[in-house]
Amino acid sequence: MNELWASPFFGISVSILAFWFGVKLQSRLRSVLCNPLLTAILLIVGLLSILKIPYESYNQGGAIINMFLAPATACLAVSIYSKIQILKENWLPIAVGCTAGSVTSMGSVYLLCRLFQLDEAMTASLIPKSITTPIAVEVSSSHGGIVPVTVIAVIFTGILGSILAPFLIRFFRVTDSVAAGLSIGACSHAVGTSRAIQLGETEGAMSGLAIGICGIITVLISILFL
Amino acid sequence: MKIIKQIGIIFGICWLGTVAEQLLPFAFPASVTAMLLLLVCLLTGILKTEHIQEKSDFLLANMAFFFIPAGVNVINYLDILKQSWLPLAAICTITTVITFAATAFSIRLTMRLLHKTGGTKNE
Repeated sequence: MNELWASPFFGISVSILAFWFGVKLQSRLRSVLCNPLLTAILLIVGLLSILKIPYESYNQGGAIINMFLAPATACLAVSIYSKIQILKENWLPIAVGCTAGSVTSMGSVYLLCRLFQLDEAMTASLIPKSITTPIAVEVSSSHGGIVPVTVIAVIFTGILGSILAPFLIRFFRVTDSVAAGLSIGACSHAVGTSRAIQLGETEGAMSGLAIGICGIITVLISILFL
Repeated sequence: MKIIKQIGIIFGICWLGTVAEQLLPFAFPASVTAMLLLLVCLLTGILKTEHIQEKSDFLLANMAFFFIPAGVNVINYLDILKQSWLPLAAICTITTVITFAATAFSIRLTMRLLHKTGGTKNE
């Protein structure tokens, strides 16, 4: 029976089906809460549990999808390059903001993990949770983190950031759209950016830039200090 | 052939990233090296956006999809999540707000200093 599921075609097609459903659900309900990635993960975890399909069988196809993560990360360079003009014009606020954001995010996660007495592996999984998933996964695994926990924490943070963004902008009285966009990108990566785009063109572009820059800064900090 | 060529360029750069990961004395993620390499190629004009446009649009637009297997792997860690979902949620929430505030305030300070120096180009 298990051989049925062990074909790579099973893992790939079930992933595509679940993701397609997640995208449909989001466009129907128009809510940030139904993130298509989250929907797809929950559906597949449910399916595997109910039918008692081993994760290893699903991962025959999963591993192939996983291989595309590195090329997708590399292509973030294209999105940075397309905003090179706006980067040159605002390089100082971008550099300062992204550095402050990355340091604060990593530092505050570390301190709170200590406070809640989480173990080393859990701490390493959470430290990169504010940056984009592909880079967060790399930082987490190279420091002994649990990759799936990182993925969940990153998605959760992104959804949270996109919900809180308008409220945070008002609460901290951020009037400048460059600052607003960068802050959203620094704390909630691509999911937050989708919200920043709705707030305005500058907000969207700045938030998009912050994704790549904060990712690079976080990698550098993790190499130097962890 | 066009798409095959684009896949070749991007996968080739990713492979160079893994080569660099082996050679470097510290753990620099291969995919981030590949990203920096690609950025350098674009900035220096070795590559033009047209050379990789379709493939990179495809990868960027479907980025979330490629994370499904990594996320589904959580099935092997449900015990840990059940045990510590509350601190996890609390940490994510608190640090997201703090990170937003730190970024916003540091930028506000930078801009204020920039205006004070009145256009002079020093930091």
